[in-house]
Amino acid sequence: MVTVAALAATVTLLGGALRGSSSSGALAAGPTTAAESANAVGSGSADTAALVTGLQARLRAEPSDAQGYSLLGLAYEQRARETGDPSWYPRAEGALRRALRLAPGDATATGGLGSLALSRHRFREALILGRRALSLAPASARTYGVIGDALLELGRYEAAFRAFDTMARLKPNAGAYARISYARELSGRPQDAIAAMRLAVEAAGDQPEATAWTRVQLGKLYWSVGDLGPAAREYRAALAAFPGYPYAFDALAQVQAARGHMVLAIDLESRAVDAIPLPQFVSQLGDLYRARGDGAEARRQYELIGVIQRLLVANGVKTDLETALFDLDHGIRPHHALELARRARAERPSIDGDDVLAWALLRTGSCGDALAYSKRALRLGTLDALKLFHRGMIERCLGHADAARAYLSRALALNPHFSIVWSPVAKRALR
Amino acid sequence: MTAVLGRRNATVIALALVGVAIALLVLRLGPGPSPAQAASHREAPLIANDPPADITDFYMFRSTEPAQSDKVDLVMDVIPFEEPSGGPNYYNFDPSVAYTFHVDNNKDGKAEDVSFEFRFTNEIRGAVNSLGLPLAYVGGVPPATGAVIPPITSLDSAGLGLRQHYTITMIKNGHRTVLSPMTDKIAVPSNVGPRTMPDYEALAAQGMYELGGGVRVFAGQRDDPFFIDLGAAFDTLNLRSPATDMLSGFNVNTIALELPASLLTRDHGSPSQTNQPWLGAYASTSRPRVTVLGGHGQGHHGSHFVQVQRLANPLVNELIIGTKDKDRWNTLDPDQESRFLDYYENPRLALALSLVFGAPVPATPRHDLENALLKYGPSDPGYSELLRLNVSSAPGASWPNGRRPADDVPDTAIQVVGGPAFAGAGDGVNVNDKVLPNVFPFLASPWDGRNRVHANP
Repeated sequence: MVTVAALAATVTLLGGALRGSSSSGALAAGPTTAAESANAVGSGSADTAALVTGLQARLRAEPSDAQGYSLLGLAYEQRARETGDPSWYPRAEGALRRALRLAPGDATATGGLGSLALSRHRFREALILGRRALSLAPASARTYGVIGDALLELGRYEAAFRAFDTMARLKPNAGAYARISYARELSGRPQDAIAAMRLAVEAAGDQPEATAWTRVQLGKLYWSVGDLGPAAREYRAALAAFPGYPYAFDALAQVQAARGHMVLAIDLESRAVDAIPLPQFVSQLGDLYRARGDGAEARRQYELIGVIQRLLVANGVKTDLETALFDLDHGIRPHHALELARRARAERPSIDGDDVLAWALLRTGSCGDALAYSKRALRLGTLDALKLFHRGMIERCLGHADAARAYLSRALALNPHFSIVWSPVAKRALR
Repeated sequence: MTAVLGRRNATVIALALVGVAIALLVLRLGPGPSPAQAASHREAPLIANDPPADITDFYMFRSTEPAQSDKVDLVMDVIPFEEPSGGPNYYNFDPSVAYTFHVDNNKDGKAEDVSFEFRFTNEIRGAVNSLGLPLAYVGGVPPATGAVIPPITSLDSAGLGLRQHYTITMIKNGHRTVLSPMTDKIAVPSNVGPRTMPDYEALAAQGMYELGGGVRVFAGQRDDPFFIDLGAAFDTLNLRSPATDMLSGFNVNTIALELPASLLTRDHGSPSQTNQPWLGAYASTSRPRVTVLGGHGQGHHGSHFVQVQRLANPLVNELIIGTKDKDRWNTLDPDQESRFLDYYENPRLALALSLVFGAPVPATPRHDLENALLKYGPSDPGYSELLRLNVSSAPGASWPNGRRPADDVPDTAIQVVGGPAFAGAGDGVNVNDKVLPNVFPFLASPWDGRNRVHANP
């Protein structure tokens, strides 16, 4: 009679199996370059794939197992995150809905649909699902994370921060600390955000992906205030913990570009794109080619963006905000981009929605309307160089020379390399 | 497994329990961290995993070491399933976690009479630091490479790029006494392999400290002492002899504290003299409570901590407490257990057993489980989930009278939950894959990163 403890051990085991172990092979060759040269995403994704296969086999034998479908849905969501392939989203939804048909009111499946809605940028839906999950399991820290994330993207910051505080009171762990950090960052307190993200890094322990994710976020906080050295150190630590991690390649590319190492930056960004062709990676790769003067290659990359966005939309992801920003930054159909930005902001009235709409209004010549939205975008006091730059250009358009200089200077003082495309523009405008 | 199960019964129970298993899995799995995200919004992880604060086992027992039987040992293991080759950073205690043993010595169920809190700090140092290597430990580097770094033979060796110091604080009647300052105790690092650490046990022995007054302490890596034949169980209870230990080849991080029993008992009596021989205890991990509006330094040395896990009796968290209540259960002290009595009185597992086997299990409500896990005796009015030890009973007692690394918890658990009809039942694994030493800290040397094997990979 082994089953009692077997269950307990299985739990631990699969937790451990998902965690995987970082590849030590990359280290044999020596310092950072070895970690940077490892191309494959580490073992974590192989473990999730194995879990998916195992669950599918079990569900073939036991097709009425609701909790099996819940878990399969969550595993599909994890695959989407690992591969960047949005076709996992409809599969996740199918498994979670089947779980709910078999067991109406299942908190895990409901919460899973909530986090899936977040991934698809359907934040109102995520909020409804998160609240439903909370009514089914009132003290679940994870559910407060889903609700807080949704509130945040809906621009309801006070309520979002309260949800994060509750999450961190119920179960302080890497996920809770990372959210507290983000809230502090949005509130314009980068040093306090760094302190909380350090706690998240420690709490990630030996889990390669969680370590890599939290280290990249910590690096981006350093980057946001112009500390390139500490930022690069965190990105390299992320790659050492999780070789091939594309977010770290992408972030390191930004640092290398800031240092003027364009060939290296293009190489790093290409690795990110090869691993997961996310729109923001492809866009940055195009920007790097353009900055180096290779317009043809830049255009080839930009053309890919449209294809990827359509793929995302086909799998239920809303991409209006991201598409609008990309189009505006690359001079593509600005009036259409303005319409996208209006629609996106209605769906997602966050400071990001406000900021992109403000930028779209400026780029289509409505500087007065742009100012109102830019004020909203900066209402939390967020120290975001790009948002400050947008505001500076809006003030400039309105003829407010002093205000323009002040905002552009603040953007560059935070991080003189905040954008491959716009930092040079800000510098020229200040001359 | 001495009880013979019919093939059909075995099949049914395996299927019936899959549901429970999956419910448990969800807790551990979560959707995981997000290595990718579809677009610009930030998807922070929603993981439940917290390995540095995850207590795998807690032990409390009277020492079985020769001439030490007046001592009581408190041991907690953290970080599940340490793969020995898990570089470059290997496995460390978390400087932001408070690791604590809590003891009740007056049978009131409140484990706050004596506590021992362990806190760690990281020191980045030595050749690894000066050369900027992305490795925690190096040693035995051949001269041909130019840089000569000798093997790590001491806790002061240059190759120890990361060194963890720790402090132990005793809390008695709300009064905090530092037993060992941060500067002098060093946690034993993970066992990287024979080139880097040619005599690991000699290194580990340096991390065994005598604090005076008969108190000993150890913090560092050990072999995971838990044992179970998991693969056979899930192959429709296709049990075997000899069975294989599913946890073979995995390590844990251990904190072990040995004290004279008289430092723990209410009347300060030794095991043979005390009139108050009962101790109740649990281990906990706590993390700093942070808030959005909290200050910059909030956390590391702030006064507010949240208990993220507690462990007294094995398997209670995994098999008794329902998934939806686990977060809250972990944050509460054990003397709040009356809020969760329903889980004990109507254990899902006993129900499954009786349905599947048709064998009689004790009738609900299961006051026998409450008495075994939550009370010092049937007349005890309170409910507190503590591991209880009668220090005057012989050192060789077994769980639930204290718990030793050698105790066969899977066998005992099924016998307790199943009741008399399951007497003698158990799995085929009755000992750990490594011989458990009968000397402090009572756990075997960890598997090394280079030559590790899993008997059941």
